[in-house]
Amino acid sequence: MISVEGISAGAGARPLTDVSLVVPQGSYGVVIGPAGAGKTTLLEAIAGIVPLRAGRVHLSGEDVTTWPPEERRLSLVYQHAWLFPHLDVAQNVAYGEAEPGVADAMIERFGLQDVRDHDVRVLSGGERQLVALARALAHRPEVLLLDEPFGALDPRRRAAVRREVRTIYYERRFTVLHVTHDFAEAGALGDTLAVLDGGRLLQQGAPEMVLRKPATPWIAEFVGAENVFAGDARPIRDSSPDWRDGDDLEQLEHAVAFNTGALTLYALGHVLPGPAHAVIRAEEVMLSLGPRTTSVRNQFHGIVSDVTAAGALTRVTVQVTGTPIVAALTTRSAGELDLAPGREVWVAFKAMSVHLC
Amino acid sequence: MSALPRTTAPLVGGGAIATVVSGLLGSLFLLFLVGPVAGVVGSGAAEGFRLLASDSELQAALALTAASATLATLLALLGATPIAWLLERRSFRGRSVVAALLDIPLLIPHPVAGIALLLALGRVTLAGRGLELFGLHVTGSVTGIVLAMLFVSSPLYLNAARESFAKVDPRYEAVARTLGDSPWRAFRRVTLPLSRRGLLAGAIVMWARSVSEFGAIVILVYHPRVASVLIWERFNVSGLRGAVPVAAVLILLAVIPLLLLRMLRGDEIREAPRAE
Repeated sequence: MISVEGISAGAGARPLTDVSLVVPQGSYGVVIGPAGAGKTTLLEAIAGIVPLRAGRVHLSGEDVTTWPPEERRLSLVYQHAWLFPHLDVAQNVAYGEAEPGVADAMIERFGLQDVRDHDVRVLSGGERQLVALARALAHRPEVLLLDEPFGALDPRRRAAVRREVRTIYYERRFTVLHVTHDFAEAGALGDTLAVLDGGRLLQQGAPEMVLRKPATPWIAEFVGAENVFAGDARPIRDSSPDWRDGDDLEQLEHAVAFNTGALTLYALGHVLPGPAHAVIRAEEVMLSLGPRTTSVRNQFHGIVSDVTAAGALTRVTVQVTGTPIVAALTTRSAGELDLAPGREVWVAFKAMSVHLC
Repeated sequence: MSALPRTTAPLVGGGAIATVVSGLLGSLFLLFLVGPVAGVVGSGAAEGFRLLASDSELQAALALTAASATLATLLALLGATPIAWLLERRSFRGRSVVAALLDIPLLIPHPVAGIALLLALGRVTLAGRGLELFGLHVTGSVTGIVLAMLFVSSPLYLNAARESFAKVDPRYEAVARTLGDSPWRAFRRVTLPLSRRGLLAGAIVMWARSVSEFGAIVILVYHPRVASVLIWERFNVSGLRGAVPVAAVLILLAVIPLLLLRMLRGDEIREAPRAE
């Protein structure tokens, strides 16, 4: 387990301030944030490399706040790799080897056999990151700290290495904290997700929760929400919210009318009257050529202004009374609807799909 | 970001004029620095080597000089290396003051350094009496020679060591620590190998500077004579005719470490890690 309580650390432009975070024992935690958010400083504080100004760090149930890095039973992989330039690949991997043979096994698992005797200074960026990962895992840590460890790998190799790291993680069940600025990577790997910016932790939860219920409009945009609208929220009495049996009604306490520009959206939530933001993921927005005869509360007529296909998904922007709403649908569906700029369509999404923050 | 490579390509316009003017001025400056030294070597080397085979006083002075400089350099390696590491790696109150204090020997006239050592470690002082308990006398002994060399030349090594440690990113040590190394083990396995060329270069410069030290030594120790004191004595007794051959031999002795240093730096340039 990794547990940090109210830590403040680092100095200069990227200090951490009062950060608390928990990654349960054997879980894969991911921290996302933009460049300069303090992600690396967080890992270095957990590793004992950067001294704390305040707070405590617990690893595997023990308070290690005052322990030196070598006693914390962890490994840290930097984005830069920091391979020891006076040692070859095999010597680097074996540097902190927990027992004989582990380093050789890691060299094989990461496909480094062909470069095992190479000078690390001639390796490509991707190879360097693989050596750093192998070196960290050969140490057999209880806690693995990863600082953007796949950034220099090409997309095909990145997917393969991600799978390999994930496989080793399942085999050994150590605790991982992985920082990245890539939300897709975070969603693919993490059991728990935290968002860091400006040295402060903004939100932590399951990736799905952070994705669907971002705490702030900034987080919403950072995690890829394309429909983020500023406006005014007003609770309303509504007898027919579109919830389903089994939904957590405490979360659906009241219906809300949300005015943004000339558009009024219907949502469900706890929001108080006043300024707020509405977030709707593009995947939640449905398009049709005519009005739907369903209980969906938000249904608007609009004109397609842009169609952008990216592989299997197509993003369609529809102007609804001057407000652009983006929908994501399969490229096949977009083709069937014959969508093109100027085409009249109907936009629909459930009140439950509108997150207010 | 890597530096632009030096070029031998022809230049045009103002660049060509600047190159010619720089070349002329540089040549004059080079002549000023190298000419006198080359003159001494040219006029005294042959006689100096002849004396080297027969002049036991010269042989003893050179052996004493080399041995004392070596001992002073070894003491600096032991004493100054940890200070250099602390100054580069640790932040503490008064760090800049300590760094400035350690440069003082470079700034004061060398006879003043000798006088200061005499006042601090002479027989009448507490420290001097303490040294004498161990049979060490600062005046008139090899101890004095070594201490004078150490005092005057060790800041050169210290600064070179600081520069070497500064070039080794602390994250190398951090990674080693997370892989189970204690601070000393990380220093021995990572920092030392990565900074060894710089440390060795600093030690060579210190050794060469110690070999040529005169002002501080002559205040503390006239006998036994190191090479620089012997040159001074022969100049007083026999003028240039007596001093130049010994001076030529001393210059050549100092050139050997200079060549070693250049070879080291050449290797360093070839082995520098590529930029990422």
